[in-house]
Amino acid sequence: MKMTPLAVVVGVLLILAAVTFVVILMPYAHTNQTVPSEIFRQRTAAEAAGRDIYIANGCVYCHTQSIRSVDWGLGAERIAQAGDYLADHPILLGSQRTGPDLSQAGGEHPDDWHLAHFINPRYTRPLSIMPPFAFLGDEQLERLIRYVQSLGLKAADARMARQAYWKAEAVRAYEAGPDANVQWLHDQIPQPWRDLPNPYPTSEAGLARGQKIYQDFCLGCHGPVGDGLGPAQPWIYPPPFNFTILKNREISGGILYFQIMNGITGTAMPYFKRELESEKIWDVGNFVAVYFIDDSDAGMPPKGIPASYEAQGEIEVSGSQ
Amino acid sequence: MGRLLRQRPAQRFLFNANGEMILASRNGTALFGEYATAKAFIVTSAFWMMVATFFGLLGATQLIAPDLTANIGGIVFGRVRPTHVNLVLFGFVTPGLLGAAFYYIPRLLGVPLYSERLGVATALVWNVAVAAGVITLAMGMTQGREYAELIWPIDILIAAGFLLLSFNFIMTVRRRREPILYVSVWYVLAAVVLTACTYAMGNVIWRPDSGALVGIPDAILLWFYGHNIFGLLLTPLSIGVAYYVIPRATGNPLYSHTLSLLGFWSLIVIYTHIGTHHLLQVPVPTWLKVVAIVDSIAMVIPVSAFLINIWYTAKGKLGEIHADIGAKFVFTGTIMYFFVSFQGSLMSLPDVQRVTHFNNWVVGHAHIGVLGFAGMIALGGIYYVLPRISGRPLHSRFLADFQYWMVLIGMVGFTVVLTIAGLIQGNAWLNGETVYRILTQFHVYYVIRAGLGLLIFSSSLLGFYNIARSLPAKRGASA
Repeated sequence: MKMTPLAVVVGVLLILAAVTFVVILMPYAHTNQTVPSEIFRQRTAAEAAGRDIYIANGCVYCHTQSIRSVDWGLGAERIAQAGDYLADHPILLGSQRTGPDLSQAGGEHPDDWHLAHFINPRYTRPLSIMPPFAFLGDEQLERLIRYVQSLGLKAADARMARQAYWKAEAVRAYEAGPDANVQWLHDQIPQPWRDLPNPYPTSEAGLARGQKIYQDFCLGCHGPVGDGLGPAQPWIYPPPFNFTILKNREISGGILYFQIMNGITGTAMPYFKRELESEKIWDVGNFVAVYFIDDSDAGMPPKGIPASYEAQGEIEVSGSQ
Repeated sequence: MGRLLRQRPAQRFLFNANGEMILASRNGTALFGEYATAKAFIVTSAFWMMVATFFGLLGATQLIAPDLTANIGGIVFGRVRPTHVNLVLFGFVTPGLLGAAFYYIPRLLGVPLYSERLGVATALVWNVAVAAGVITLAMGMTQGREYAELIWPIDILIAAGFLLLSFNFIMTVRRRREPILYVSVWYVLAAVVLTACTYAMGNVIWRPDSGALVGIPDAILLWFYGHNIFGLLLTPLSIGVAYYVIPRATGNPLYSHTLSLLGFWSLIVIYTHIGTHHLLQVPVPTWLKVVAIVDSIAMVIPVSAFLINIWYTAKGKLGEIHADIGAKFVFTGTIMYFFVSFQGSLMSLPDVQRVTHFNNWVVGHAHIGVLGFAGMIALGGIYYVLPRISGRPLHSRFLADFQYWMVLIGMVGFTVVLTIAGLIQGNAWLNGETVYRILTQFHVYYVIRAGLGLLIFSSSLLGFYNIARSLPAKRGASA
């Protein structure tokens, strides 16, 4: 074959045209007929303005908006559909997941959690490597929060409505004073959990593990001594809970477990059931009970058959009964 | 500038008196000197390599110390990363490869460049575009699409740059004295002509406000464009340099014309199909994913056609390659091309991608490709043509060699630590761990990565110094 300039230039252009027809125009004809998914709605002006801030600051380089069938974690309840993206111009699928996927981030946390998190991400998430965004200023942060709270569209709206309802309840309880607040918090826990002691006895190793979990997940809000004065506290209302008031207020290992597992929607307390498995929750709960409440029910009956690793003495005592 | 203008009439007189020189005068050689465009693009590349790798180092540092640059909005990580990527692609690698092309295209065609004046003007436009890109990204002005971040006015400058390059090269080809077009010329023509098209298309320049389509079609177009920046720009320009440098450095004729043809046409046909392998886990049409996977595997055809051709050309002459620092960079680049292509084909398989997608594995892959393959060959092209332009040896062969090892160690180190980090992330995610839970598990690899980034940034400083000192001291106009 003789490679004349014409053959090279016209040849490659013809190939590009043919390939463009196959891989761009044909899929375009296919995908631009996409119908809206059941969660789709248009964005409000404030949400769209927040999206511009999200784009301008390159959030897309660390946060995907693309939930796959293999995913766990934030948003993984719903696999992405083409009809979710009909208002995305440009689409922000992302290519790196340095931070969590945000497809369904809307309504996962209340606004005040997001504000503290944007001021400095380590205030709410001590291990985060996200940059602080305080430089954006209040006005832009508010718009950015509106956008984040819209992620998931109609599904986010439903979550936001739940946040708003429980926020009002939580604020009312908090403002009624410590006794009423603790009572209200306990009343939200199913009775069997309230009666349940921490099934594992206190051990040095368990406390050390609990402390590690506390530092990685809890310290930003509840503070290093559990008094609710962590660095996120100034931005959060109702403020982070002060564990030191719980003594003699009918606290149990089960209550702590339930609250860590499910969070307290409406407040900045997130659920941790996706991030922490059972032993980690029991351990951090017992760390809080031993060091901050000074009232631990760990290992007290009723506790069922002891776990096989528990100390020898325990097993002999239980076996003799 | 005033001095130049004063000199012009005298020069014109000189050249009018010498019939042979008139052509040179008209194409701007009188004004700018021989190979002025090549020099301009080489300096452009060496300069922006420093800035590009600095931004890479900055971003890597922010990932291990996020409060170090807290609340300096212009260099928040999300603005640093696209600046790094765009500078590497359009500031460092592309101009470096073009610098070599502006030397070897006239040599291969037996005529001076059609217009050195136009070439230098193109380099100027190019630098304005790249500098404007850095400033606008720092200001948060972005289209928010990977590799297509630059805003519309800069898109127009870059698209115009590719058109000017195309015009200059095509006109040079039309005036050639050598009837046969050597394979490097095909690749250069294809790269500039096709990228003029894909750049305009991928940046949706008919929609200046957003530079994007809406929804899933936007993702398909973006990755078609994004992958063609590698497939139709960096790869053909790099292959063009390799096809020039390796036969010249070894003194061997090219192994096979047939393989050249096969490699060229199969690259254009196959590489353009594979962009959707970035979207295998996204709701795009399944048939399009199948096309992307099949063609990603089929990439072994153009890759092995090129590598067999170039490696058989070098057969028995590795000593000559080792003796020439430019050829050494280029040959190393071809080895990295083998690794990145083999890895890339595997990564298109859904079972592999289940682990590798969305994590640092891909960042490692990108660094083998853009730094190990195209970047190494760009540096090799620069170091190969510089002494031939200036007519004297490099300022320091030792510094060039030192830079070679710094880049090689940095790039291989990147690949190792980022691949480890990616495997940790990918497997942990599949196992149900959240993103947050495993951040600490690869922190140490991020620290090593930043250290290696310092190595690569330092190498770019050495490179700039060495390249600047190796350029002809004076403009060659009066020669």
